[in-house]
Amino acid sequence: MVSTDDKVASKPARAPVTAATALASGGAAFETKTVGQVTVENPVVTARHVDVYYGEKHAIKDVSLDIGRNAVIALIGPSGCGKSTFLRSINRMNDTIDSARVTGTITLDGQDIYDRRQDVVQLRARVGMVFQKPNPFPKSIYENIAYGPRIHGLAANRADLDEIVQTSLQRAGLWEEVKDRLEHSGTSLSGGQQQRLCIARAIAVDPEVILMDEPCSALDPIATARIEDLIDELRQNYTIVIVTHNMQQAARVSQRTAYFHLGDLIEVGPTDQIFTNPSHKLTEDYITGRFG
Amino acid sequence: MEGHTVRTFDGDILNLRMQVLSMGGLAIDQVQRAVQALTLGDEEGAHDVVTRNSQMIAYARTIEEDIVGLIARRQPVASDLRAIMTVGRVATDLERVGNAARKIAKIALELEGARGYAPLQRFYNDVRKMSRLALAMLRDALDCFDRVDIEGALAVVHRDAEVDSEFQLAMRELVTYVMEDQRHMGSAIQTVFLLKALERVGDHARNIAANVPRFARRDETVPVPTPPLASRAPDLGGGTEAQPDPRALGQG
Repeated sequence: MVSTDDKVASKPARAPVTAATALASGGAAFETKTVGQVTVENPVVTARHVDVYYGEKHAIKDVSLDIGRNAVIALIGPSGCGKSTFLRSINRMNDTIDSARVTGTITLDGQDIYDRRQDVVQLRARVGMVFQKPNPFPKSIYENIAYGPRIHGLAANRADLDEIVQTSLQRAGLWEEVKDRLEHSGTSLSGGQQQRLCIARAIAVDPEVILMDEPCSALDPIATARIEDLIDELRQNYTIVIVTHNMQQAARVSQRTAYFHLGDLIEVGPTDQIFTNPSHKLTEDYITGRFG
Repeated sequence: MEGHTVRTFDGDILNLRMQVLSMGGLAIDQVQRAVQALTLGDEEGAHDVVTRNSQMIAYARTIEEDIVGLIARRQPVASDLRAIMTVGRVATDLERVGNAARKIAKIALELEGARGYAPLQRFYNDVRKMSRLALAMLRDALDCFDRVDIEGALAVVHRDAEVDSEFQLAMRELVTYVMEDQRHMGSAIQTVFLLKALERVGDHARNIAANVPRFARRDETVPVPTPPLASRAPDLGGGTEAQPDPRALGQG
């Protein structure tokens, strides 16, 4: 396990390398083939030498990456590159797949999330998830938000619950649109509103990290713009990991970008640098539309 | 480099480069004709150069519009974005070469009445020499741009010092003439403007060459040195100095 001391991480070489040694924030050195700075100061999530297998298929190969606090990191790459698999390994969603096997270490605030004593339900409250297709419960708007806080015992009474529902909907930028019809079904909302309802549902349990798996791919450009604006606001309070096929979206919403290719984490760096001067040829070829 | 998955994007970039090269061909021809009109006293040729400058401006506007369209439609990033921005800068440099040619042609028309004046012919020797050097630089810079020849482009960048020192030499010579006989003053001043216009052609050729590495991938680029200050020609107040593009020169 890696310590989360506040020491500044070392800066690995930017030029492509076959193997480099990076320093975790605690000072422990580790080998990585990834180009760019995989470590950050005071990370919320650290992944070290993570491999994920689906039966015989080696979906993620020796991925090491830190995820910084109150920032957005975008995971990009062609279909089947492992970006969604990596995202799903952060809140153990891969556990729901029988053939999936995860090795290596992933920590949340320094605690190993694959430890046998880890309560998975509790983990998923701390690491929320928003999916590609909005999936509100077939219940009222109010109940969609209230369900999580209720089962996690976050509200002592109805007034508390009302406040959580209101705050969550406000943070998700949906309150003004639904405050007069909280008893209406969540599925009666438009696609964009449903996705913001799902984001409100995720933040209702006060998570540290929100995982977003292509959250805008089923939405029109206006609804997409509202979600992107929301992501920028949410990062004041949450850490966001977003998987997207839309590279302009990655460039717009994230501060760091990680490029995956055939299960390898090829390059990670500040988004500005990745989209203007990527160091690795594979990254350059992908973002300029030369394959993928 | 490998082509884009969307092949029409490759076509768009190629089209932009071809337009810049055509513009470059016209720029070389304009300078050549302007110097010829001056030294041979070809009044009609000088008028042609002035008229044809509108073609240079039209090229620059078309390239600018195409770049705006390409950015809006394709949202280029990384090396594609740098390449497209580079084409825009090269077009701007070429437009200024066109302005220099027009200036030479206009001076040729002004000096037409003084053709029989013997010292002027001696001054023209310096003009011819400067134009040979500057045009060779411009041709080679465009050739390197066409072939994405980084080493060749670096060599062109260094040759700018040669044009600058030729300018300094010609200036000293002019001063000597004027000190010997002050009646040479008027034609000497016009010659200074001619020489300065040609020295600027060299500067623009240097800028074009310095931009060539921007076409290459980041890890293949090499830094282009800024010419030492001492080798730069003094600004004689004849207009905007064609300064080396610091973003192009300093990158790598």
